[in-house]
Amino acid sequence: MTLNNLKTSLVELDARSRAKALLDEGTFRELLGPFEQLESPHLEAQGIVPQSDDGVIVARGYIKGEPAVIISIEGDFQGGGIGEVSGAKIAGALELALRDNKNGIPVRPIFIFDTGGVRLQEANYGLLSIAEIGSAIIELRNYTPVVGLIPGKIGSFGGMSITAGLFSKLIMTREARLALNGPEVIEQEAGLEEFDSHNRQKVWQTIGGEQRVATGLADMLVEDDIPSMKEAIYDVFDKPASEKPRSTHVARYQTLLRATNPSYKMHPIEMRNLWKQIAEGKPVQQASTFHEPENGDSTYSRGHRWFEALAGTTSKHPDVQSILCADKEIAGGRARFIAVIPNPNGRFPRARNGEVGLEEGWAIAQCVREAVGEDRHGEKRAIVAIVDVPSQAYGFREELLGIHLSCAAAVDAYATARQAGHPVISLIVGKAISGAFLAHGMQANRILALNDETVNVHVMSKQSAARITRRSIEELEKATKKVPAMAYDIHSFATLGALFGIIAGVDANAPSKEDSYNVMERIHEAIRDVKSGSTGLEYRLTRTDGRQASILVRKRLEEQW
Amino acid sequence: MNTIHLEFPATRRLTKRAHVGVVGSGDLEILLEPSEEPFAKLTVRTGTTGFDQTWQNVLERFFEENDVAANIKINDFGATPGVVKLRLAQALEVSQNDVEQLEN
Repeated sequence: MTLNNLKTSLVELDARSRAKALLDEGTFRELLGPFEQLESPHLEAQGIVPQSDDGVIVARGYIKGEPAVIISIEGDFQGGGIGEVSGAKIAGALELALRDNKNGIPVRPIFIFDTGGVRLQEANYGLLSIAEIGSAIIELRNYTPVVGLIPGKIGSFGGMSITAGLFSKLIMTREARLALNGPEVIEQEAGLEEFDSHNRQKVWQTIGGEQRVATGLADMLVEDDIPSMKEAIYDVFDKPASEKPRSTHVARYQTLLRATNPSYKMHPIEMRNLWKQIAEGKPVQQASTFHEPENGDSTYSRGHRWFEALAGTTSKHPDVQSILCADKEIAGGRARFIAVIPNPNGRFPRARNGEVGLEEGWAIAQCVREAVGEDRHGEKRAIVAIVDVPSQAYGFREELLGIHLSCAAAVDAYATARQAGHPVISLIVGKAISGAFLAHGMQANRILALNDETVNVHVMSKQSAARITRRSIEELEKATKKVPAMAYDIHSFATLGALFGIIAGVDANAPSKEDSYNVMERIHEAIRDVKSGSTGLEYRLTRTDGRQASILVRKRLEEQW
Repeated sequence: MNTIHLEFPATRRLTKRAHVGVVGSGDLEILLEPSEEPFAKLTVRTGTTGFDQTWQNVLERFFEENDVAANIKINDFGATPGVVKLRLAQALEVSQNDVEQLEN
């Protein structure tokens, strides 16, 4: 029985049926399906029942008669969180799509979001995967549009929203939401007056599909109706856009930020009007300028100290004083150093303690892209990210104005630099947390870290992680013993293989001349190592045996591709 | 997490394997594969402890009514006995049906 006006919902389907529904009829062929039982190796140890496909469906098939790969996240399993296996399925599929497109074999990539971000029980595996996924999308976009659909129920949150910011085109429904930090998390971190997560109307007005499309953070608004969604997807592939991806539009978004007044909470409608003006190229007024602190910075962060020690100067970004950026002649060439530091007088109140906020993400992108532009025809200078970032900024303004895209812009810039042949090195001197680390550090060819107990890599504070995974802090700490990806210390992170080296014997807090000399030596060593290797991130997979599942998933995917 | 192994005698062969469900709140995932041996062999993994007897009762009853030789894996996230029975019936239907399976 069919009624003419009856819509066929995609949202109500599970991930596998969603993928089937969007592909041309009868062409669905699942890779690494449930009977292969490539489930997460990290959940049982924590008393959590795994799922046979780890919550990600990868399928080959056709989209309007052309070969395609569709990746669909199951939001009902662990909130659609990205762990090692699910992350490797996504990254691996995109890497294979890239390989084929590079070789002249067209494959249309489509991605169905339904995710809360990193799976907290596999924490740093999620971060590593998301960095690899982002890197693949940025390269793949050069060959084919990469289409994302956010149908809704969970929507897209966390690190996967940074990924969403990288897509060529995003299609959303009214029901769908797209944000870096969910309203509940913001309420928890910043209080009820910052964002009332129970005010559903406000939530959807701010991060819902309609608002996102009206403010250029997504491209197409569709009904929850399978034929309409298919049409929207066909549309993208039929008329490949001439416009560059939104995460590369640094100047445009910096204009937007300068035109907003962070001293009050802008209404979502006001943001729409402002965006309309900017998109139409009309001049907008600069809302407020930066005021230099009268008494100087009250905090002198570790990242700041290391920047001075290595770059030999304190050169602040002209508009965004929380970004340090300077070039220095080093042995064998030039290097650009970039750091994020606290600025108690920053325009955005939620980004004054060294967080990566709206302005910071775009300013990092600007610094990196400037170097890429200048070196286009010459020797590619090294880019060194000095990492001491406590988190991304949690706030209402941040979500309204698209902090996920600001972080995506930084990811995009670093990955673009790396793929263009710039040696990109990160040096973790303090905290390297979550979205902030994804934006500033995770796209490097090589990552170095200081051996110090306050040098931490993780996705969420212990208190928040315990609350969300419904465990006590003691239980959480016990779990980190079994699953090093959940631990916070740098030695546990090193077992996952992403580090080029841990630098011991230096004073992490107050570098002496000798310390900075020694660290610089290691940076040189990393740069030399990059120059002899590839521009990708695959190096991270084989350095330790911490990524066995990631390797296995990729190998099996390739066999079944 | 609790793992339960159960085995019931069976005679009827199945031709197709079946996968249904999601390890989501109040739901479960079932992987059913035809077996050459005269048993229905089950491995249940559940996040909820203390219900071994309930599982035993629900599954015993089901396989009394449905004589199928199969290896069955159940990944459970707190499904009620009613949901368990429904999902098992769905899995059986899929394994006996040539029509493309529809989920949810």
